[in-house]
Amino acid sequence: MYAEILEEAISPKGRNLMIRAIMLGLIEPDERAVRIAYSCLLCRRDEKSCTAELKNAEATEAFRKYLLGRGLPLLHEHELLVKSLENYGNPWQEAKASRKRWAKDLKARKAVKGKTDTLFYVGCTFALDRTLQESPRALAHLMERAGENFGLLLEDELCCGSTVKRIGHSRLFERLRQENEKRLLETGAKRIVTACAGCYKTLKQDYPGLGEKVQLLHSTEYLLSLVKDGKLKFKGAPIKVTYHDPCHLGRHAEVFEEPREILAAVPGLQLIEMKDSREMSRCCGGGAGVKTAYPEVSRKAALRRVKDAERTGADTLVTACPFCVQTLREAAADYGSKIEILELAVLLDRLAEPGGAGLR
Amino acid sequence: MMDAKTRDEVRQGLAAAIGDHKVLWKEPDIIPYTKDTFRIRYEDEYKFLPDLVVLPETTSDVQKIVAVAATRKIPLIAKGGGSSRTGMLVPTKGGIVVDTIKMNKVIEVSVAELYVTVQPGITLKELEKYLEDYGLALNQEQGSFKVATVGGAISTSGFSRKHQKYGTIADRVMSLEVVLADGRVMRTGAKVLYTSTGYRLGQLFIAAEGTLGIITEATLRVEPLPEAKAAILAFYDDFWTANDAAQKVMGTCVTYTGGEAYGVNDASEYGASPGKKGVFYLGFEGTKGEVEAEVAFVTDIVKRTGGTIADPQHTARFMAKYTIQWCGARVATGYEGPLTTYVPMKRMRDFYDKLYGEILPKYGTGPLPGEEYSLDVGRYRIVAGRYFVPKGDRAWERYQGMLREIAELATGLGGSISTCHGVGIEHRDNIELEYDEVALDTMRAIKMALDPDNIMNPGKKIPDKK
Repeated sequence: MYAEILEEAISPKGRNLMIRAIMLGLIEPDERAVRIAYSCLLCRRDEKSCTAELKNAEATEAFRKYLLGRGLPLLHEHELLVKSLENYGNPWQEAKASRKRWAKDLKARKAVKGKTDTLFYVGCTFALDRTLQESPRALAHLMERAGENFGLLLEDELCCGSTVKRIGHSRLFERLRQENEKRLLETGAKRIVTACAGCYKTLKQDYPGLGEKVQLLHSTEYLLSLVKDGKLKFKGAPIKVTYHDPCHLGRHAEVFEEPREILAAVPGLQLIEMKDSREMSRCCGGGAGVKTAYPEVSRKAALRRVKDAERTGADTLVTACPFCVQTLREAAADYGSKIEILELAVLLDRLAEPGGAGLR
Repeated sequence: MMDAKTRDEVRQGLAAAIGDHKVLWKEPDIIPYTKDTFRIRYEDEYKFLPDLVVLPETTSDVQKIVAVAATRKIPLIAKGGGSSRTGMLVPTKGGIVVDTIKMNKVIEVSVAELYVTVQPGITLKELEKYLEDYGLALNQEQGSFKVATVGGAISTSGFSRKHQKYGTIADRVMSLEVVLADGRVMRTGAKVLYTSTGYRLGQLFIAAEGTLGIITEATLRVEPLPEAKAAILAFYDDFWTANDAAQKVMGTCVTYTGGEAYGVNDASEYGASPGKKGVFYLGFEGTKGEVEAEVAFVTDIVKRTGGTIADPQHTARFMAKYTIQWCGARVATGYEGPLTTYVPMKRMRDFYDKLYGEILPKYGTGPLPGEEYSLDVGRYRIVAGRYFVPKGDRAWERYQGMLREIAELATGLGGSISTCHGVGIEHRDNIELEYDEVALDTMRAIKMALDPDNIMNPGKKIPDKK
């Protein structure tokens, strides 16, 4: 964010100085302080080059929580999101029933207690953004191809609470977390797979103890295990691909290798890394409520990343997070970039060989 | 500090001159400009705030800002990346911080003439990256490489790890454009590294800490990228044996980019056998043949001085870690200060013995373990170390007393108080130990000639006349 705005208060150092002044009671937090609090992408990229190993994302998230706790108003840009979550259980103002729309052909897949091994937890953005629904469909196809016993919550699925957690709304997050955890565990599934990097981080790191009750996997980890078990095979594709590490999957949850190993399993596919990748991957600009609060800056960050990808000479940018796909696609369209932006499962579904274990 | 009415008028004046969006005035926006990375007196934290902050984008913006400030004699503090260690950016007298960070454009690259002309707010890292596409390098690798700007590096006379082969930024300045305190724009001379015509005005602004004017453009000598690079990392029993190797290398004609001898707690993470507490490293760049010959030459010195050479993997790992180190590590401990003194080589042991044996214990503090000794090897010699800043009762007064005694020690041995961090407020009252009264008066006269109303970063760099 600092790289785009270049004002000291937007830098980690500047923001920390401001937070400290407020904590010491030297200044009263006002609207401007609130806006500065929401200028951080919580991407943790700065932390990777901080010699003092400061936990800036954690501090900023806690500061947002503190501001709301002191009764300061949310940014008006975030109000709609919160209201939607309160009313519909998703941030995108869609009726609860819309959640199953992507899965018209998969109604029989409703999770049944005691019978579902793997619960595919889709998440709000994949389920409700029509331009992204190809992703859950692709993942479901791949699971079917691999002969997996999986189920869906469909209209009963609830938001994991990631967005409200990131904007510091702990009360609403707690409510969502408790209800969601109840629904997840009620399915009796042995493992939960999610394709959304945000859901994955949240379930794994912000649902205390959930990971001990049920195995939590990101789709990249899960798909890799299917590949390793020989349940998924891909036909050759002479394409050049670059992989964008989503912040929540990479730096936050430290899943760097799995998506790359899966791509390596596609014969002929050439993976070309961007200059800033893995731990130093640049944020797509879509994180932590910044896209809503600072749309222009978010677009600049996204454009920077699209240019990074173009510089590799790849014809496809693959990533593993709905927000990254959404944000990078918008930037690529604005910029007139020819690079195709795909969620990993979508690419794999295109290349999957028939005759995987499930169809044998 | 201005009263509310004046501040409002000045704000409106600035907004009308350069645009509202380039003027910051709300508390949360100006608080982050309260300090750089110098540890000011604890009780003074957040005491010094600028009245306003401006974010100019062009020379013309800077001129307009200076015009507004000059009419009312408002202090102007020019800022680059903000990584100063000496408090030179602390707005001790309020005023306007001129944050040059948005003046980050490359204006011209000349491959034939080997120069680059830039605005001052571009960071050294951004510039190196930009130049790579032209097959060129500025070769300025200081600890704060990622955040330090060209303007800030010039104004502090920053260090470079590659000083031996390429010099520091002070050696690379060909021409500057500066906005003077009366609002006029001065070009210090033609875009040429060596000339014997006028006074070397460009040199005046090196290490001036923004006290003489605001740099708005710099033309710097660049070099072609080398054909080959290499590094040698060697281990010794302790700092002093590593230092023997360093002294031997400095006594030969071998070429290298730069290097360091220093003491560590334990070098085994880089593959040293247990108990090695001295490290010596040198970097090399040039043609392939040159580098091979230089490496062979230094390898021989290492062997003759009882050192063992690290394997290439460990050397690469060391270099990767070494080049990200920077003085900002202070925040890791919270109470750490760095020395960037110079003392003559033959007096190094006397310096360290008195520093750690007498001065620091007297003020109830000591060095950071494993960071006691270090020497930059080559023409640019920093006899460095890190210490804990005194804590507890009368901490600030003890800290000041300690700095004074260190300055007395270094200058008494014929050295310099600060080779690369500047003066700021940290050393301001101590530089009288390093310069005689005639030199100080001459500096004051220069300041008076260029900035008679003392609006350019007042209260920094030169002590008031007693």
